[in-house]
Amino acid sequence: MARFNAVDVVLWALRIGVVSVVVGGTIGTLIKDRYNAAQWFDFVMFGLTIGSIYAQIALGYTMVYGVLRLINFAHGDIVMTGAFAGYFIANPLARSGFLENHPVLAMAAILAVAVTTSVSIAVLTERIAYRPFRRVVGLAPLICAIGVSFFLEQTFRGMFGSAVKSYPDPQWQRATFHVMGFNVPRIDVLVIGLALLFMGALYMIVQRTRMGTAMRAVAEDGEAAALMGIDVNKVVVFTFVLGGAMAGIAGVFYAFLYKQVYFFMGFTPGIKAFGAAVLGGIGNIPGAMLGGFFLGMVESVGPTLFLDGIGIRAPYQLRDLIAFTLLIMVLIFRPQGLLGERMAKKRA
Amino acid sequence: MGTIVKQCSRGLLKLCAVGALLTMGHAVMAATVGPVTDDLGVIRIAKGAPIQIGAYWVLSGADTALGLDEKRGVEIAFKDVGGKLLGHPLKLDAEDDNCNAEGGQTAATKLAANPQTVIVLGPACSSAATPGAPILWQAGIVNICTACTAPALTAPDRKPEYAGFARTVFSDSEQGKADAIYVHNVVKAQAVVTVHDGSPYAQQLQQVFADNFKQLGGKVLSQEAIAPTDVDMHPLLTRIASEKPDLIYFPVFTAAAAQILRQAKETPGLEKTALMGGGSLLSADFIEAAGPAVVGFRIGYPDLSPAAMGKNYPKFVADYKKAYGEAPISGYHANAYDGAMLTIKAIEKVAKSDSAGNLYIGKKALRDAVFSIKFDGISGPIACDQYGECSQFKPSVLEFTSADPKTFGIGTNPKKISP
Repeated sequence: MARFNAVDVVLWALRIGVVSVVVGGTIGTLIKDRYNAAQWFDFVMFGLTIGSIYAQIALGYTMVYGVLRLINFAHGDIVMTGAFAGYFIANPLARSGFLENHPVLAMAAILAVAVTTSVSIAVLTERIAYRPFRRVVGLAPLICAIGVSFFLEQTFRGMFGSAVKSYPDPQWQRATFHVMGFNVPRIDVLVIGLALLFMGALYMIVQRTRMGTAMRAVAEDGEAAALMGIDVNKVVVFTFVLGGAMAGIAGVFYAFLYKQVYFFMGFTPGIKAFGAAVLGGIGNIPGAMLGGFFLGMVESVGPTLFLDGIGIRAPYQLRDLIAFTLLIMVLIFRPQGLLGERMAKKRA
Repeated sequence: MGTIVKQCSRGLLKLCAVGALLTMGHAVMAATVGPVTDDLGVIRIAKGAPIQIGAYWVLSGADTALGLDEKRGVEIAFKDVGGKLLGHPLKLDAEDDNCNAEGGQTAATKLAANPQTVIVLGPACSSAATPGAPILWQAGIVNICTACTAPALTAPDRKPEYAGFARTVFSDSEQGKADAIYVHNVVKAQAVVTVHDGSPYAQQLQQVFADNFKQLGGKVLSQEAIAPTDVDMHPLLTRIASEKPDLIYFPVFTAAAAQILRQAKETPGLEKTALMGGGSLLSADFIEAAGPAVVGFRIGYPDLSPAAMGKNYPKFVADYKKAYGEAPISGYHANAYDGAMLTIKAIEKVAKSDSAGNLYIGKKALRDAVFSIKFDGISGPIACDQYGECSQFKPSVLEFTSADPKTFGIGTNPKKISP
């Protein structure tokens, strides 16, 4: 007969507690019938939109972790640099009318500038700050990453001030599609669609190209990969290029969605995306994508679906609590994340 | 043996006495220095040395304009007295509190650690004042707040550790009431939703508003909350839309308020819902952050029209423009100027010099002076009650008229629409 210890009892209590809140809250909310179908649809769209941003940022965390076993805490600030770079090209384009009249070309230009900037900063960060720590064990690389984060934030604050700057708001972004009786904001479709496209492209690069194969080889065993003739430095730089590119794109999308840029804007989405990467299984590219969408959905739908029904007042102040409680629950019962920490498994 | 017990008892008594004094919110350090004896200690300022006035405001981030505007008000006050007081130069030692509790605690600790800090002005945010004022008073330093308006700070039931706190700005118990009357009687809203960000300012102001609105016969559908760093307000606004309110009242700070304002216009069901914010949003930075959605947006604010202010206010505005090359960038400069003038008058009243030219200021005497001085300030009459409320309040409602931050000007953008 199996024996239960105190830890098992606590874990079972946690399981039952969370499942009770989720199930009880959901049933209560549905019985109340406060929201119509269009509003539920909106909740899901909001979740997918912010989730696609988290997913893109999470890819940067997960790839760097996979290759270097480094948690790049400055990655959220790389997103910020991309958003800032986009701001400086988006505003002149908006003032001249180009952004309104030629949206495809204008967005391509904004994304190109943002990606170039964030890739450059990501590569410089790797070369100057992280490479000297590559063979250092312990907490030093992590502390270095936190230092880089502060450095980037304060540099941008010094250069561009601490006030909030506003992204342009062209008319075409405010339009909506009508699908089966629901209104879908065009900007949401654009952000989700392009995010999926870019993430798909990144996945193909990692899975189907020689450099992607080299990345996976370095992630699995860097020393063996080097012995097989793979230039590890080149692979690491390539990883930062990919992560920086995704960060630049995410920064521009984030800024076009929420219209504000300032030096500290990368911190919160960065932390959440890191959570998403862990949730999906850090080091696992599809896991990071899944984790991002999961976190976005829980943040958006969770407070209403789980808490309204049990009479919690002002549930939206608890959205981070809900999201990270679910994150902790997943990690308690599945420490390797939703899709598993692939490289770690192979190493073991 | 009996002697030891007696000595122990005496020791315990002393410990109890010290403990009791500490729990009263203050470590008593009665002292006689030079010609001054004071229960809370004496600050000695050597001949020619500066009189150090501490300050903490938000001087970085999205709400910088709030703090910078007040700092400028104090600088102009110092300039108006020639930069000197009783033969000593006035020195402003300003710290950045980031408009949050951690920043307020750090700034106050730093200022309290300086034995030469005579008095502290600021902050702009109640979140910073709530932990900051007790730290300062623990060191016997009076804190004259220049923009923090949370009702609890000067409420009759405030804790003893706030005994050294006074403010030359109104209480939100007045602002919330005035906003509720406006929304009920002028906007004719019957059902409202409030949103706060957990800060003492926003939480208390919306609560006062909600209580008064209910008393007037209105219905408060819900009191929602967000985090100050939230950017995606769509789910919250969709939830609010399901309640069909006539008005959403959200006295939060620049970044979050701008997000609510922008996203409310895009939320189905809220297209015609009126929106109203608080005094923390009176700045060009808010116009920049909110973009085109700012046009038509209203905020409750004390009346800053020349007719409502003190007679010297127009001269102050002219001096401000001359000194900084722009009109006031937010709305609390006059309160800060008056806070500085109250400081100057209080020091003049209690400071004593010795024959060598050294200056001595008793801390308790300074506190009593601050609480007893009355004068006509540029924001109106200044006279503190026993709980440190020194300002009067005249309500108004302002409405933004343009999305161009360069057009910011109190009276034009936003312009007064009530009374």
